[in-house]
Amino acid sequence: MNHKRFLYLDVIGIAASIVLAVVVGFIIIMMVSDEPLQAISSFLLGPFSTPFNLSTVFNKAVPLIFTGLALAVVFQSNVFSMGAEGQLYVGGFTGALAAAYIPGLPVWIHLPVILLCALAGGAMFGAIPGFLKSKWNANEIVTTLMLNYVGIISTSYLVNNWFKDPGSGGFARMQYFEKNLLLRKISDSFPVHYGFFIALLSVVVISVMLYKTRLGYELRLVGKNEAFARYGGIKTKRLIIYSVMISGALAGLGGIVEILGVHGTYKDNFSANLGFDGIIIALLARNNPVAVVIAALFYAYLQVGGQIMQAESDVSRELAVIIQVLLVLFVSAQAVFNYFKQRAVLKHSQSHATKGGKKDHVA
Amino acid sequence: MTVLLEMRNIHKTYPNGTIANRGVHLEVHEGEIHALVGENGAGKSTLMKILFGLEAPTSGEVYYKGSPVHFQGPRDAIKHGLGMVHQHFMLASSLTVSENIVLGDEPRKGPFGLFRDRGKEIQDIQSLVDRFGLKLDPNAVVEYISVGQKQRVEIMKVLYRGAKLIILDEPTAVLTPQETDELFDSLKTLVAQKYTIIFITHKLREVMEISNRITVLKAGQTIHTMLTKDTNKEEISRLMVGRDVLLRVEKKEQVLKETVLELRDVHANDAKGFPMLKDVSLAIRGGEIFGIAGVEGNGQRELVEVITGLIGATGGQVLYFNENILGKSIGQIRNMKIAHIPEDRQTTGACLTSTIEENLILDVYDHPEFRFGPFLRKKKLKEFAKVMMTTFDVRAASEETLAGSLSGGNLQKVVIAREIAKNPKLIIASQPTRGVDIGAIESIHREIVKRRDQGAAVLLVSAELSEIMSLSDRIGVLYNGELVAILNNTDDLTEQEIGYYMLGIKKAEKEVVPRES
Repeated sequence: MNHKRFLYLDVIGIAASIVLAVVVGFIIIMMVSDEPLQAISSFLLGPFSTPFNLSTVFNKAVPLIFTGLALAVVFQSNVFSMGAEGQLYVGGFTGALAAAYIPGLPVWIHLPVILLCALAGGAMFGAIPGFLKSKWNANEIVTTLMLNYVGIISTSYLVNNWFKDPGSGGFARMQYFEKNLLLRKISDSFPVHYGFFIALLSVVVISVMLYKTRLGYELRLVGKNEAFARYGGIKTKRLIIYSVMISGALAGLGGIVEILGVHGTYKDNFSANLGFDGIIIALLARNNPVAVVIAALFYAYLQVGGQIMQAESDVSRELAVIIQVLLVLFVSAQAVFNYFKQRAVLKHSQSHATKGGKKDHVA
Repeated sequence: MTVLLEMRNIHKTYPNGTIANRGVHLEVHEGEIHALVGENGAGKSTLMKILFGLEAPTSGEVYYKGSPVHFQGPRDAIKHGLGMVHQHFMLASSLTVSENIVLGDEPRKGPFGLFRDRGKEIQDIQSLVDRFGLKLDPNAVVEYISVGQKQRVEIMKVLYRGAKLIILDEPTAVLTPQETDELFDSLKTLVAQKYTIIFITHKLREVMEISNRITVLKAGQTIHTMLTKDTNKEEISRLMVGRDVLLRVEKKEQVLKETVLELRDVHANDAKGFPMLKDVSLAIRGGEIFGIAGVEGNGQRELVEVITGLIGATGGQVLYFNENILGKSIGQIRNMKIAHIPEDRQTTGACLTSTIEENLILDVYDHPEFRFGPFLRKKKLKEFAKVMMTTFDVRAASEETLAGSLSGGNLQKVVIAREIAKNPKLIIASQPTRGVDIGAIESIHREIVKRRDQGAAVLLVSAELSEIMSLSDRIGVLYNGELVAILNNTDDLTEQEIGYYMLGIKKAEKEVVPRES
């Protein structure tokens, strides 16, 4: 059976989950709201109502593309990293240091240096659980979750105690970067920052890496069947480290792009779960780099819709969160897809059976 | 004859799209041994799982003792008098024979049945032993009894639960010839006492010897049901495969070349650190097939893994063209024109969730001609995969087909294509035809012999004694990690003779392995 033949069923399955989640969300809106139609229309149409709202969707999707991509890569190598959040902070922090404290470079050198520092910071931090796994077989779910605390809290400590801008008051942040370092917007009426294109470029690079290079072939093979990869002479432990480093680098890049595109400096707690949302994005996208873009945009659309609904009706934005949660629930429930698949396959087989005819049968 | 079981028009489609049964009919009479034969992937196992309530059929009916039944699971099936002896034993190895037999169904005594009634337990089991002539010590710990005895424990388990219809799934796969004979004796005793047996196998010799009637499955359909006395091996294999097959292997006159592989006093442990190979020495020359016979689990796996670098040795030397290859990486060894056909193609030999192409390119993708820097030359690789599929007759829609959707034989052809394509000087083939249909067995055997004729050295490890005997030039027997005999495969060598070595009853004088002659 060709592996592409049933791909559309996967897509139908995901679409069905989305519809189901949204329908359940609407039922809840109907129950809690006095103006349900207003709420639903704000939620669904709000993000498209003005160019500004639409640009918010894009801007919110940018960091999600990076973290979703980061997790899609490790998941493809069958490493269940939960560490994108910590890597995003560490990478963002190292990048921010380069932005704030390397003086006197021309922008066209300084900006690449900043991005490289972020990549390196994320990669180095990401390498730790990979190293622990390949050396002592430490469970990566536990190590990455724990290392998230290390990453988040130590960067928070550093920005609160060592690199705090005296003028920042209650919310610790570094000094604002020079204006020319910040990522520009497409236009004032449609203010999507150029980080979106960096994200798309990353998607292309990662797609090529995964499907067109030696490294990608080895990485996917290790993910699909480690015993087979080892038997084929692939150094599986080394590859696992590469995979978590690539993932960390992507998360770090996501951190610095978010800082340069939205915040203008390193702010304490700037992420708010971007790394964990990335897990959902990778799940929705079935670890496909291109689908990550669609999933991230959709996810951002839900978030923006929720905010607009809160502003324009009596329903709070938590309802959008409920829909997100339901979505995760439905998408992770493989049964939904399997049901559709089974039905299609069944039809296929029945049509075959009648064509084939039955052979005689002796009692 | 009364009809005990009837399965009508059974269809089964798995969620992953595999169609295992598409209209199977099976009718089993009371008191017969009914052989269910078919190539791997013909749907035998699925049919039995459906019967036993382990899988629900997509459509179709099951009638047992004349009334429609729909078993909810093994427990339900057992309650109705069915029993299944699985190919892989399901025993608790640290418990005794009797504990294994009664497990989950122990006779009880005392208030609320709080205590096991050991006296009754032993008594029950002893009466079963006497009645069916199954020689077993109820107090022996399962870990220490032989494979044949373990199988008897499995049969006792189902008898103890009152089964009248017993399903045996490939029961002889792990047995020596002597143990097979004993099993057949037990089966005859059972049938004499009105028990009914469904015997699943693909060994035609056994079908002819033991069964009363035969049902042949092919590609998920019932092809034919017939009386054993009205048919012969050739007809059955024709029905299974769809054409006459050559069961003999033609070999050319042997032309021996230089020594390719030599093992000197090799020791190795298994994953738990338990010594599995002791003092193994052998030498294989180009143009020679060296067969390793032995009951599974006597060090065959470790022997293969030491040579291919998957595990380390704890002592000795492995010489390949006089160069010690112990300590070299798996990749280095693979690049030395050493082919490895692993025993488990589902997990080690192939990646089922990858495409055929991705499976075939494992050895070539990093060769300079298939690369441009870090990038793969996708077109060339695709071309390569296509050529390999035609050369080795891999039957699939395209090179993009998932390996997991191939039948056992076709998948093994993919493995062999990949391994043979590098023109190996040494071929390590472990169970190369296990679970493979007759048509594919034939082509795999021909390929191995062809390579031998061209001067490659072959180490053939197989649990099928007939395979070892029909292909090998010399035969080594592994027993308990030791190479207890190295025999020339002459015409007067019998299965019985090898069987004695396999069981450890006989042991050859420690001979000096001829190094150069």
